[in-house]
Amino acid sequence: MTGETQSGEQLDLRTLIEKIPALVLCALPNGSVEFVNRAWQEYTGCSLQPLSGWVWQTTIHPDDVAQFIDEWTVALAAGKPFQTEARIRSADGQYRWFLIRKALAVTPTRGRESSLRTLIACEDINERKEAEAKLQETEILLQAFFENSPNLIFVKDRQSRYLYANKEFKKAFHVTDEIKGKTDDELFSAEQAAAFQAVDRQVLEAGLPTKFEDVVLYEDGQHTRIVQKFPLFNAEGEIYAIGGVVTDITERKQEESARRYSEERYRLVVETASDAVISMDENGTIQLANSATRSIFGYDPTELIGKSLTVLMPEYMRKLHEKGFRGYVATGDRHINWQGTELTGLHKDGQEFPVEVSFGELTSNEHRIFTGFIRDISKRKLAEDKLRASERSLRELTETIPQMLWSAEVDGAIDYCNQRVLDYTGLPAEQVHGAGWMKTVHPDDIEKMARAWTAAVSTGEPFQYEFRCLRAADRAYRWCISSALPLRDEKGRVMKWFGSVVDLHDWKEAQQALQMTQVELARVSRLTTMGELAASIAHEVNQPLTAVTNNGNACLRLHAARNLEPEVLRRALEEIVADGTRASAVIGRIRSFIKKKPAEKNELQINEVIEEVLTLAGREIYENRILLERQLTTALPLVLADRVQLQQVLLNLIMNGIEAMTAVTNRPRLLGVQSRIDESGDVLVAVRDSGTGLGLETDRVFTPFFTTKVNGMGMGLSISRSLVENHGGRLWATPNSPHGAVFSFTLPAVGRGAS
Amino acid sequence: MTGGAPVVFVIDDDPSVRSSLKFLLSTVGLQVESLDSADSFLHKKPPDVPSCLVLDVRMPGLSGLDFQHELARRHIHIPVVFLTGHGDIPMTVRAMKAGAVEFLTKPFRDQDLLDAVRVALERDRARREQEKEVADLQRRYDSLTSREQQVISMLVSGMLNKQIAGQLGTAESTVKVQRSRAMEKMHAESLVDLVRMIEKIKGPSEKAS
Repeated sequence: MTGETQSGEQLDLRTLIEKIPALVLCALPNGSVEFVNRAWQEYTGCSLQPLSGWVWQTTIHPDDVAQFIDEWTVALAAGKPFQTEARIRSADGQYRWFLIRKALAVTPTRGRESSLRTLIACEDINERKEAEAKLQETEILLQAFFENSPNLIFVKDRQSRYLYANKEFKKAFHVTDEIKGKTDDELFSAEQAAAFQAVDRQVLEAGLPTKFEDVVLYEDGQHTRIVQKFPLFNAEGEIYAIGGVVTDITERKQEESARRYSEERYRLVVETASDAVISMDENGTIQLANSATRSIFGYDPTELIGKSLTVLMPEYMRKLHEKGFRGYVATGDRHINWQGTELTGLHKDGQEFPVEVSFGELTSNEHRIFTGFIRDISKRKLAEDKLRASERSLRELTETIPQMLWSAEVDGAIDYCNQRVLDYTGLPAEQVHGAGWMKTVHPDDIEKMARAWTAAVSTGEPFQYEFRCLRAADRAYRWCISSALPLRDEKGRVMKWFGSVVDLHDWKEAQQALQMTQVELARVSRLTTMGELAASIAHEVNQPLTAVTNNGNACLRLHAARNLEPEVLRRALEEIVADGTRASAVIGRIRSFIKKKPAEKNELQINEVIEEVLTLAGREIYENRILLERQLTTALPLVLADRVQLQQVLLNLIMNGIEAMTAVTNRPRLLGVQSRIDESGDVLVAVRDSGTGLGLETDRVFTPFFTTKVNGMGMGLSISRSLVENHGGRLWATPNSPHGAVFSFTLPAVGRGAS
Repeated sequence: MTGGAPVVFVIDDDPSVRSSLKFLLSTVGLQVESLDSADSFLHKKPPDVPSCLVLDVRMPGLSGLDFQHELARRHIHIPVVFLTGHGDIPMTVRAMKAGAVEFLTKPFRDQDLLDAVRVALERDRARREQEKEVADLQRRYDSLTSREQQVISMLVSGMLNKQIAGQLGTAESTVKVQRSRAMEKMHAESLVDLVRMIEKIKGPSEKAS
């Protein structure tokens, strides 16, 4: 039915047209329709009449009609072929797409006028049209999908030339111009491109999709990606291209490792925690419990799941907990502190024990999970109680101990004093603290003591200082000793100082008294030695004297009775002579005994011995109100002497001098002690008194049993002279002017050849 | 008077003092025994004649004061005259308290010693007489029958014959016989005499009871 034919009759034409299954209409050259076939009428539901002329055009879809008329009129007028698409309304009012084209132009032979007739065939293309529209829609969708995808999407041909790449791809690799036709070599490093192309080849060869993870350098750094490549098949089942989808998992990767790490850590922490970790839901039902619940509460974790948290608390706490918990869930108000609250736990065995609880809340899948961390603090409590008790007892100790105690900061400032210190000093604590304590120190001691303390604080050396402290009770300065030791940390740094103050006053006085007593004892012992010696001498001498007297008296009695026989008298006289001889021998023996007694001779400083003896005689000097005048020459040569014997001689001379002055009331009692070198180079000691003097008997005082004293034995000076002579020296007496006597003795100086 | 001539014991470690003392004491007719130490006196049998000690305080071995103490411990009641070369007051006091007759410092006046010795001997003689009398009485008392002793002690306590008879459950006449026999054995001339005798035997403390 293509082309034009010159032949044919109208009737035949009509018959022919009617037989065409397509919608056909016959149009005049002016565009009006002469007639339509039956199919057309049936489709549109219109008879010819209302369709003839231009009316039929009303069946065209209003959107299509304008274009249709344009093309229609132009084509008819020009006698040119005509083809267009338009929607035609069917009988039921639905529009369907039709391909409308000029099928045949005929010139009927029989007719009133020769006029061209054009047959227009309308082919129903609605299905194709709809398919096309659908395809286009899909294309747009795909386009949008690809372009907006966060994945990199690309298609390459078999030669690995890019056919397509989406926006994300271009952005990632900074491709600005057209990518089509480019290869990986132009976009990536040679190494990277080779790797990509190797995968492409693999896909082409295998004809199967592949998936792998790689790491590629992007504009902004390294990215980890999952790459999927797959072959694209054509209708013939041949691979004509390779598709690729790249998913960037860098962030997820990081998140995942972070999450995995934190999950692992959480699990580890929870499982190995010594604290019980218990999670519960909004109803207070336990969802999770770790293994520590076994050791703390006595419950196996599995036992607890599904139970209420209240099983872990004593009865009396349950109501409170439930109320508080419900309140929190509803209002968000916490009835307890969620961090480290001390509560009471209930063990499976019914035992209550102190716990420390911290809570955390987490919302997961719209569910609120509460996790409690519960620590058994009974041991800590016990330790705390103990510590508190020990602190208290220590504090009590420091307060009750009969000792003054204090502590100081590292810089030496006093920060604590016990009550004893406050009682002693009569100051309130704040006045003793810091450097306030110095107020209590005797003015003469402050400077040195402060220096000593500062030195101790700066060196960390133990501190000890004797000072006079003002005691509040009697406003008297008393000798005290303060000692302190530093407390060091494990690195040896001083953290604090702890010190004590001890009142030594009484002790010191006792010590002085003791010293005095010792001096006294020594003095008495010296005197006793002399006295003992004297007593022994007295006995020795008295024996023969007693015998002499007895014999004499017996003779006298017999003579008086005229009964004295010559023989008896002779025997008595013999005995008298023998005893007399014996008496003088005693004296000789004593002197030789003193001489024979081995002297322990040492090199001595005579002034030292003088001072010692003056100390020994101190009480007598004081009690007899003697004025002592020392004239000791310094730097005297040493003497070789027995210290004790020398002390005896000196003590004897000094005591004699004192006794000689006891009767003196009308002049000063002057005792002079002098030491010097004499003319011959010996060391000379002179003891001078202002006493009664020796009168004419200056020399006789050295005779045994001669005494000027009422109670004297008359032996002291005799013995003293023997002792001095035994040391190679001399002892003599001279009158003092105007009163008293001078007793002098010499001792050879060391190095001058003592005899 | 109890027997024998008195003896003076002179104890001194010094031989010439010893012999001179013996000489001096012999001039007044005293018998003297001289010893060189206190120990040798303790080893001797105690004398049974009036005696005394002349003793030097200061002696080797037992000192004079320790010796005095030792004598007391042994119940040897011999008077002591102390001699000393160099006595002091405390020593003197101690000696006198312990019963010394005299404390003489050498050299002493001969008369002082002789007086002291005489006092000492007289004291010892008196003591010995008293001791002898008590011993005699005790011997006589011991010779009584136990019933006689009973009757006597009741008499001494002041009971009448009748009372004694009542308490002992015997006849008064029996008591009278026992009483006269006991008085005869005791050589008592009267009841007063008997009471004095019993007091001497029992000692002064018994009298009070």
